[in-house]
Amino acid sequence: MKNVASIVLNRNLPDVTNSLCENLEKYNGDMTDIFVVEAGSDDDKLSRYSSWHATWPEARSGGLRVPRGFNYGLANLYKQGDFENYDYFLLLTNDTEFSEEPIIDPLCKIMGDHPRLGILSPCSQRWGEKELIPTGDTRYFWYVHNTAFLLRREFIESVADFDEPSHMQFLYDGSNFRGYHAETELITKGYANDWATGITTAIWAEENEKHLVSHSDLIKTDSYEKNLSLYVEQGKIWMKKKYGFNSRWQMQMYAKFWYDRFFEFYPEYEKYRI
Amino acid sequence: MIRYKIERYLTKNRCTMLGVGPMSKNCVDAAIELANELDIPMMLIASRRQIDAGQFGGGYVNNWTTEEFGKYVVDNDRKGRIILARDHGGPWQNDMEKIDCLSLRRAMASAKESFLEDIKADFQVIHIDPSVDPYGVPKVDEVLERIFELYDFCWREAQSLGKEIIFEIGTEEQSGGTNTTQELEYVLKEMELFCSRNRLPSPSFIVVQTGTKVMEMRNVGSFDSPLRVSNELAAEIQVPKMIELCNKYKIFMKEHNADYLSSEAIAWHPRLGIHSANVAPEFGVAESKEIMRILRDENLVSLEESFVGLAVESGKWNKWLTPDSSAGDFEKACICGHYVFATNEFIELKNDIAMHLQAKGLVLDDMLKYAIKQSMLRYIKGFRLVRS
Repeated sequence: MKNVASIVLNRNLPDVTNSLCENLEKYNGDMTDIFVVEAGSDDDKLSRYSSWHATWPEARSGGLRVPRGFNYGLANLYKQGDFENYDYFLLLTNDTEFSEEPIIDPLCKIMGDHPRLGILSPCSQRWGEKELIPTGDTRYFWYVHNTAFLLRREFIESVADFDEPSHMQFLYDGSNFRGYHAETELITKGYANDWATGITTAIWAEENEKHLVSHSDLIKTDSYEKNLSLYVEQGKIWMKKKYGFNSRWQMQMYAKFWYDRFFEFYPEYEKYRI
Repeated sequence: MIRYKIERYLTKNRCTMLGVGPMSKNCVDAAIELANELDIPMMLIASRRQIDAGQFGGGYVNNWTTEEFGKYVVDNDRKGRIILARDHGGPWQNDMEKIDCLSLRRAMASAKESFLEDIKADFQVIHIDPSVDPYGVPKVDEVLERIFELYDFCWREAQSLGKEIIFEIGTEEQSGGTNTTQELEYVLKEMELFCSRNRLPSPSFIVVQTGTKVMEMRNVGSFDSPLRVSNELAAEIQVPKMIELCNKYKIFMKEHNADYLSSEAIAWHPRLGIHSANVAPEFGVAESKEIMRILRDENLVSLEESFVGLAVESGKWNKWLTPDSSAGDFEKACICGHYVFATNEFIELKNDIAMHLQAKGLVLDDMLKYAIKQSMLRYIKGFRLVRS
């Protein structure tokens, strides 16, 4: 048994998903088992790595997106009794692109060197955050875009809802369908439970938005612009309903509060603070 | 004293100070009236293109020279609520210096002359911005050297004239993005060293890029964008980091280009701890839009055509347009109308409108000032300068 479970979200783009899985298999196959969540994909558009297929009507028509998709994958691992066999979980959307080299081993080594890291994200060449992190190093953040998250099992155990795990509840709040600030909520839960979130420039991951921009018809999803606007609109409603927050800044300041508190209790990690 | 006053006010009221660009005489009057009516401090931030010394031809705002502008404000600001501020003073910040292709030393001498007039005219905040250079983009150390020279000059001149001034530093780059914390810290450290070595007071404000950028009649920067902007540090990280740095160096953070921000973004300024923010073109646009509204409501077609023609012909809209702009003449006139307010053609046109309204018992300037004040009040309330 390998100690990392990589979970990839696919919706009707088998070639894109297969290509990502092939890369993972080729360069990281000794480290990870690969699982693909079919987020309501058509039956003839499944990845050959397909593990679980969400086929209920809502998933078929609207997909699962990040919160429900990763909940579904993780919940299935849990129900199968495999969850506890893995130390780390790499959550990837299928438009993630890595360079052709091992990425999981170096990420796990960083996790080993940073015992309070709950979430580790590779940096992106398109993020300004790279300027805050020395080359090949890691820094802790209160805001990270969720292209590729490596999660520690103990972190998930401390924040996830293990009662009746499903696509709606486990790690993420499935009621935040499109996932606006879902990562901020997760990061905040982490810091509130003594788990930090880091970005490393030792590994790079890029989100290829071309698929969403040009192939929304193939994916059978909303157009890129419509998705962005619904992502924000519905996310704001979720934020207001759940937290009474009227602004993304409130969510951010909430995360920043717990981030600052973390360093009060773990001053030994001050050097990783941005 | 002025620094102490600002600090006390900001601490006591947990607010963000508003810097108003003097886009027109009505805009200046609106700012003075609001500051006095509401008993709040407000900065009038004049760029050299708006207001400059007589020897540089004044500026486009009401054809005022620095001296005339200073006198007008001081005379009319009954309660002394207005803080006169030079915005982006420095070499080549006046178009004449660019057109004449002045050399560095000549442009520095010219900038000093302009600053001296500011100090004499009771300007209290001096923003030194020597980042403009027609001969190439100066490196940060070159910019710092120029700041040091101008800073030392202004301080000594103010001392000899018995005037009190405070300083704002920082380069203006309307990138809509973010300057790095390393860059900012370097500038702050070097500045601290320079001031302590030369026994000069530390600067009070530093311009910090928070992700604001004005194009056409909207803010297109990352600050107000709910989604992250490619190749930029997320505003969610940038803004708190910059504020932490400013607090560490005990300097007020000044945001430029805060025009057209959403009310939500405005309301977050005091909560995030942004000490001060400048708004300029939005107030000019508010006046131009009101002129257009009146012209349309009153069916003054030929006057509307003349105003639009005058504004469009000025070409001053050009720098504000987005590359994929679909702005027509009406929008262009709204964007740059304020640049022509002081021309003889517009003054004649405005007299015609005023006469037309007078017959109905309406006063044009009162209507224009009302529109500008509404625009200013959005910031005044959002910045917690008054409690709504």
